[in-house]
Amino acid sequence: MRTFFAKTVAIGAISMLALTACGGGRDEESGSDAPAKGFAANSLIGVALPAKTSENWVLAGDLFTNGLKEAGFQSDVQYAGASTTVADQQAQITAMVTKGAKVIVIGATDAAQLSTQVAAAHAAGAKVIAYDRLITNTPDLDYYVAFDNFKVGQLQGQALLDGMKAKKPAGPYNIELFSGSPDDNNAGVFFNGAMDVLKPEIDKGNVVVASKQTDVKQTAIQGWKAEGAQARMDQLLTSTYGSKELDGVLSPNDTLARAIITSIKSAGKKVPVVTGQDSEVESIKSIMAGEQYMTINKDTRTLVKETINMVKALQAGNAPQVNDQKSYNNGSKVVDTFLLPPVAVTKANAAEAYANDPKLAPLTKS
Amino acid sequence: MSRFKDLQKNLFGGTTSNARQFGMIFTLVAIVLLFQFLTDGLTLRSDNLIALFQQNSYILILAIGMLMVIVAGHIDLSVGSVAAFAGILVAKSMAEWDLPWPVAILFGLLIGAAIGAWQGFWVAYIGVPAFIVTLAGMLLFRGGNQFIGNANTIPVPEGFRVIGSGFLPEVGPNTGYNNLTLLLGLAACVAVIWRELQSRRTRHEMDADAGPLWVSILRLAVMVGVIAFAALRFASGRVGTSFPVSGIILVALVLLYSFYTRNTAGGRHIYAVGGNSRAAELSGVKLRRVNFFVMMNMSVLAALAGMIFVARSAASGPQDGNGWELDAIAAVFIGGAAVSGGIGTISGSIVGGLVMAVLNNGLQLQGVGTDRVQIIKGLVLLLAVALDVYNKSQGRFSIIGSLMRPFRREASAAPATSEAEREPATTTVSG
Amino acid sequence: MSDAPILLEMRSITKEFPGVKALSDVNLVVRAGEIHAICGENGAGKSTLMKVLSGVYPYGTYDGDIVYQGAQTRFSDIRASERAGIVIIHQELALIPELSITENIFLGNEPRRRGAIDWKSAQRQARELLARVGLRENPDTLIKDIGVGKQQLVEIAKAFAKDVKLLILDEPTAALNEADSRHLLDLLRGFRERGITSIMISHKLNEIESIADQITILRDGRTVETLDVKADGVDEDRIVRGMVGRELSSRFPDHTPKIGEVFFEVRDWNVRHPISAERQVCKNSSFVVRRGEIVGFAGLMGAGRTELAMSVFGRSYGVWESGTIIKDGKEIVLKSVADAIAHGLAYVSEDRKAIGLNLLDDIKTSTVAAKLSKITKRGVLDEVAEYQAAEAYRKELRTKAPTVDEGVSKLSGGNQQKVVLAKWMFTDPDLLILDEPTRGIDVGAKYEIYGIIQRLADQGKGVIVISSELPELIGLCDRIYTVFEGQITGDIPRQDADPETLMKQMTSTKKMQTR
Repeated sequence: MRTFFAKTVAIGAISMLALTACGGGRDEESGSDAPAKGFAANSLIGVALPAKTSENWVLAGDLFTNGLKEAGFQSDVQYAGASTTVADQQAQITAMVTKGAKVIVIGATDAAQLSTQVAAAHAAGAKVIAYDRLITNTPDLDYYVAFDNFKVGQLQGQALLDGMKAKKPAGPYNIELFSGSPDDNNAGVFFNGAMDVLKPEIDKGNVVVASKQTDVKQTAIQGWKAEGAQARMDQLLTSTYGSKELDGVLSPNDTLARAIITSIKSAGKKVPVVTGQDSEVESIKSIMAGEQYMTINKDTRTLVKETINMVKALQAGNAPQVNDQKSYNNGSKVVDTFLLPPVAVTKANAAEAYANDPKLAPLTKS
Repeated sequence: MSRFKDLQKNLFGGTTSNARQFGMIFTLVAIVLLFQFLTDGLTLRSDNLIALFQQNSYILILAIGMLMVIVAGHIDLSVGSVAAFAGILVAKSMAEWDLPWPVAILFGLLIGAAIGAWQGFWVAYIGVPAFIVTLAGMLLFRGGNQFIGNANTIPVPEGFRVIGSGFLPEVGPNTGYNNLTLLLGLAACVAVIWRELQSRRTRHEMDADAGPLWVSILRLAVMVGVIAFAALRFASGRVGTSFPVSGIILVALVLLYSFYTRNTAGGRHIYAVGGNSRAAELSGVKLRRVNFFVMMNMSVLAALAGMIFVARSAASGPQDGNGWELDAIAAVFIGGAAVSGGIGTISGSIVGGLVMAVLNNGLQLQGVGTDRVQIIKGLVLLLAVALDVYNKSQGRFSIIGSLMRPFRREASAAPATSEAEREPATTTVSG
Repeated sequence: MSDAPILLEMRSITKEFPGVKALSDVNLVVRAGEIHAICGENGAGKSTLMKVLSGVYPYGTYDGDIVYQGAQTRFSDIRASERAGIVIIHQELALIPELSITENIFLGNEPRRRGAIDWKSAQRQARELLARVGLRENPDTLIKDIGVGKQQLVEIAKAFAKDVKLLILDEPTAALNEADSRHLLDLLRGFRERGITSIMISHKLNEIESIADQITILRDGRTVETLDVKADGVDEDRIVRGMVGRELSSRFPDHTPKIGEVFFEVRDWNVRHPISAERQVCKNSSFVVRRGEIVGFAGLMGAGRTELAMSVFGRSYGVWESGTIIKDGKEIVLKSVADAIAHGLAYVSEDRKAIGLNLLDDIKTSTVAAKLSKITKRGVLDEVAEYQAAEAYRKELRTKAPTVDEGVSKLSGGNQQKVVLAKWMFTDPDLLILDEPTRGIDVGAKYEIYGIIQRLADQGKGVIVISSELPELIGLCDRIYTVFEGQITGDIPRQDADPETLMKQMTSTKKMQTR
């Protein structure tokens, strides 16, 4: 037995050495910090997007698939799963790195939980672009491209005031506030932008948040889920608006806006001024029907186009165009950012705003 | 009988429960090779293997605890929430109370133990079904996570991240490989050989047939080959990478718990309780203690899994742990455990978990979307268990049974083993 | 009788499982209106034959022909055979405890009116059916609230609801006490008068002798013979000879007891029912056991024998109230099964499959299950010690199994019981309590188990045997306690024990002391 043992160990060790000898070891050249001088025109570009919870992400995915193909790249566009979002996205990004993607565009599900994957991508020599949502706590993020979200909030706040004034010339106005998912970096930015406009009016007493829920923690809707917004609105109506009139609701996006309107309608109340964002089809219909008051046109087409332009620049070995190199600090560094301006849309300017959108334009002709 | 039969009987340990495992290992190898082919060799590339282990170590750790819970005849739906709850507390403890990270890990395990004691108390001492207790726990600790974290994401310090995304250091001469990984591989080879010898000696002492020597050697060759291949792969990743730390934690736990469940009285008691709790009780097994232990142990492992995920994600977030319970439970059932308890092995569950992991990874490398990945995983779970159920109902023993069927014909002519059972028990009557 | 038309003929039935021929060339002829008994040891193929008949093994999975009411049958499942009027009542009753008698009778066969269940008609029919089987019970009573004997009658009523022509009963009296068994047998006789044909499988040869018209004996999956009870003058010994293939000189091994001192004593034992606390299941019970003595406990079903035994065995039944246990002159307190085992007690339960064994285990795991500490070295189970212990008991008890790696679920009842005995012998007990040790076990294996019990007593251990079969107690025990409604009503030495005396004490609270 002893000798058998010794022999087998020896055989094991030898075979391992043999494999070591002919295996060749590590690929030393896959190190990262070689200066980027562009890459092949048909390289793989990875796009990792959140779960398909809103039309915009679905549209963005389609636009990326087609746009990258037209530009001559190979593309791998992935969505996170519905419930296991973060882990899915982590795995997808890792898979893209493995497949040798040269640029990875990430619409983060949780902006703070991707630093390991971004670091791995960076180490493998890929460039990482944060799309729409800023990825935090990582020095390895290269670019950020988004609409100016503070501006979005300001537009929403202003539209809310304008809309209420149009319906009822004099205040005080009763309003309620909603904000997006707390794990989305943008949600707070929207909210702060809106409060930038609303706060002075609230302080003057011209606008009243009747439920007194003005803290972002109270107004947040986890995961941007419509049912969350509907449930919160139901509760607000029961607790606060038994006799009071509700004049306006600040909603951060269209999905939540429609949920809020559903809640109000089922409570038998008059639909107040409700803001939105994203120009979703159902919301445009709602605006044209006079229910939802406004939405924000952050044309996904433009955003995707700009992102693809960045990829093209990187491919050619040039520095992509950016227009903000000081505002967006992700906790580890200030990220080079390209910001696009958003547009507020009401029934009045809808036809003009969507004139170039094949899906939305017909809806505005009524 | 034929050599094939020898192989079937002896290649993976010889006892009947291993037959199912053989089928699963077979499936795993087939899936790996399939994707290796479909992805042009990406599947078995170093960086992908490393990522595969990092991505799945926390689910596999959960599967270890879940196996024991399921064998004892319970279920734990709360693991994801417990993981998230422990994760957020540990992240907070480091961010706000400035606990050093090793202390924070200990703190996290203690939280797991406390939650486990709470759930174990209801299950074992009050007698509330585990399904209900852990369904309540799922809500309770998910809410706790949101309450404490205010649904925010809390980053964790660099040192802590080692348990989730860390690697072994580079030491020794430049061999073109990560030397510590190579050493681990060598140690594993030695251990495998030692165990094989040990088991041959044991069979010998039992006066039992240890199986032909060539089967032992073949088995050793296969296992050493696989280990050597894996070690070289893991050692030849990018400089600074190695077999991941989370993988090492996983392997250590698998070895520890396999030993516990197979070779100690405590482990035997878990199977006894799951197989027939009344019979176990009448054999002197302390039912409550066993039930309390498995529930508590599960929560400790869930807390560990939560910490590893947080470490890997570099932050604790409100979505942590969503749906993990289902992945862990699926791994256990694909790995051959019985819904009614009493049957299942740690290694089977790990293989079951790896089947799911490789499937997931391979499909992602192919660019298949999560929607279709989920559909495929659902079907695989259903088919794996259905095939097993079907085979049992046909009186054949599980997957391997059906694989071997074409080879049976020659054997059925001769009376098989169950002959003895039918032999009338009258031979001593005349005395 | 023999001119009655043939109702059923099974011709050269052969049924193979992978590697095993369970039935080979079996023939069975059943005439209309008779009671036909099928005898054979466990594993002889009785149940398999009945499963072939009732369509559990559908047409095509066996060879041979079944001719029923003059036509070839091809049953695809049980429902098909039930439609043809063949109803099988299994040993394990297929009743749902939480449903009422009516609901159980019509389960899967509900009378309907316009799609909805017609409960009024169901009630009325249920009453009629209960009358036919002689069960006076409100049809709304839940199954769990009536005894096993009455449940059996409900099963038969259920068969009548399906318009039965051929009733198959598998071990119908196995779980019944004497009175209930007698009632059931009378009922079968009544059916015979009304022209209903019955096939009955039973191990209780005295019952078969008294009720059957024809007996078909199976051995090793083959038909041995068919006997006409009256014409052939069949008695128990004749049946046994057919079953085992040779003469069985005695049903009990010869034994000269070596009885020593009293070493185990229970005094004034009082226990209450675990759920309904007002019920006292043991009332001031006191008994003693001597070294080397085999002590019997006789009593009717529900008299409280099992309850007494289990409550002594580490309070594993009911709520303990008062009473002391004295072993070797010292009082001991057994608060758990683990305590009881540590103090040298062993309890072999009456229900092997439900609470005696883990059917997922193999023989070796089962053998060591009650005392793992014996094979544990420094916290680690010693596989070699486990194997050797199991192997030693397998040889000693002559357990029929290829190896100790065999799963216990694959063993026959007698061999399972030997494994349970091995499990408890492995704990080195001083006192073994055996609850119905031979229930559901065939004649040959019973003889072996009696031998084992006697050997244990000869080693100086005390043995308590609880049994519902009086001949068994009388043949085996040195002394018999009778139990009635939770009280010990008699203490009868072997030489005074006869069925009449025992039965008298088993049905009366009047205390009797014979010494």
